[in-house]
Amino acid sequence: MAPPKLAVKANLSPFLTLWNSYYDETPSRLKVIDSFLIFIMASGIIQFAYCVLITTYPYNAFLSGPVRPHCSLRSQVNPTNREQFKGISPQRAFADFAVGSIVLHFFVFNFLG
Amino acid sequence: MIWQVPRELPRFANKYAHRNPLLLSAVGLVNAKLGLKSPKYSLLSHDGSVIKAEALDLASAPSETLTAGTSDTLKLSFTVIDDESTDDQGVQPHQAFLRFWQEGGVEGIQPVKVSSSGKAKFELNVRRPPPGIPATTHGAILNVDLILGSFTYVSSTVPLFKLRLPPSLPVAPHPEEVIYHPKPAIYHTFKSEQRTPPPTISLVFVVIALSPWVLLFSLLSKLPIHIAPSSATAPFIALLVAFEGLIVWYWVDLRLGQVLTYGAVLAVFTAAAGKRALASI
Repeated sequence: MAPPKLAVKANLSPFLTLWNSYYDETPSRLKVIDSFLIFIMASGIIQFAYCVLITTYPYNAFLSGPVRPHCSLRSQVNPTNREQFKGISPQRAFADFAVGSIVLHFFVFNFLG
Repeated sequence: MIWQVPRELPRFANKYAHRNPLLLSAVGLVNAKLGLKSPKYSLLSHDGSVIKAEALDLASAPSETLTAGTSDTLKLSFTVIDDESTDDQGVQPHQAFLRFWQEGGVEGIQPVKVSSSGKAKFELNVRRPPPGIPATTHGAILNVDLILGSFTYVSSTVPLFKLRLPPSLPVAPHPEEVIYHPKPAIYHTFKSEQRTPPPTISLVFVVIALSPWVLLFSLLSKLPIHIAPSSATAPFIALLVAFEGLIVWYWVDLRLGQVLTYGAVLAVFTAAAGKRALASI
């Protein structure tokens, strides 16, 4: 009887291990950015599913949806990547993110129609 | 016989002539009429004998129909005169053409040489017709008109007579003539109108599309973050929100030049506030 329980527990442990490691070691600020990334990904998937299942009309509005600069912000403010972004402080990364977001939103609203 | 060409004064000459005496005299010339003196024709057979020779009565032209055989020669002569002069002074018009045309059919133009004294002669040898004579299949009757063009006299078209020539061979169609045939009508097929989904499905997907916000807030609520805007960060956040509001305003109302102008001004303040806010973190 014991071996099946051990087999089930062995299948789940890599995901649990990954989750526990992420939850314990990732700073809260990065988790905030990750939450936004999950939100953007979910929005994009839903918009794409709508285009595939229902209609692409209006297509320009669909094109304006899925673009975001959060990934670069997350990689630049991650403390473990400090060596790779020596010349870019987290404040500088956020300022770049803010400027890029404003410009991107401007173009997105142009696409909305 | 003198035939008077109807008078016709160009409108522009009338408008300006009254203000300029020199122009007035020029207008007087333009106003002058051309006449034909002694127009006559003769139809000769192949041996030169006269089949028919008469003076043309242009007042009743073109009532007469001349019939020329395959070996006949038609000769036409007339003198172009200035109808205003008392001594029937001969005039050489700038252009003189004979127009041979069929109603609803082809036409041909043959230039006529008029001497400086106004005398003109035209000869049509039916055996060797000039290229300006149109084809006369099925023995159609040609209308013959004299066209006189001049810069100093009123230009005009004078009907002379009708002419029946022997039937000619049909004109060989030009190899590129088919290009000018009417093409089949073009029926445009336009893209069908975009159909919007039923309102029920749209509402369902609106709810589904807004659901990630619920996910976002639930994830953020589980994180140990404390949002407490300070005096250093509050202006920066407010200006970022103002930027988003400017973009929404552009979406509904503003033009590009306006949003770029306002954005440039706002960017200066936002940059300053951002520098102060990020330096305090």
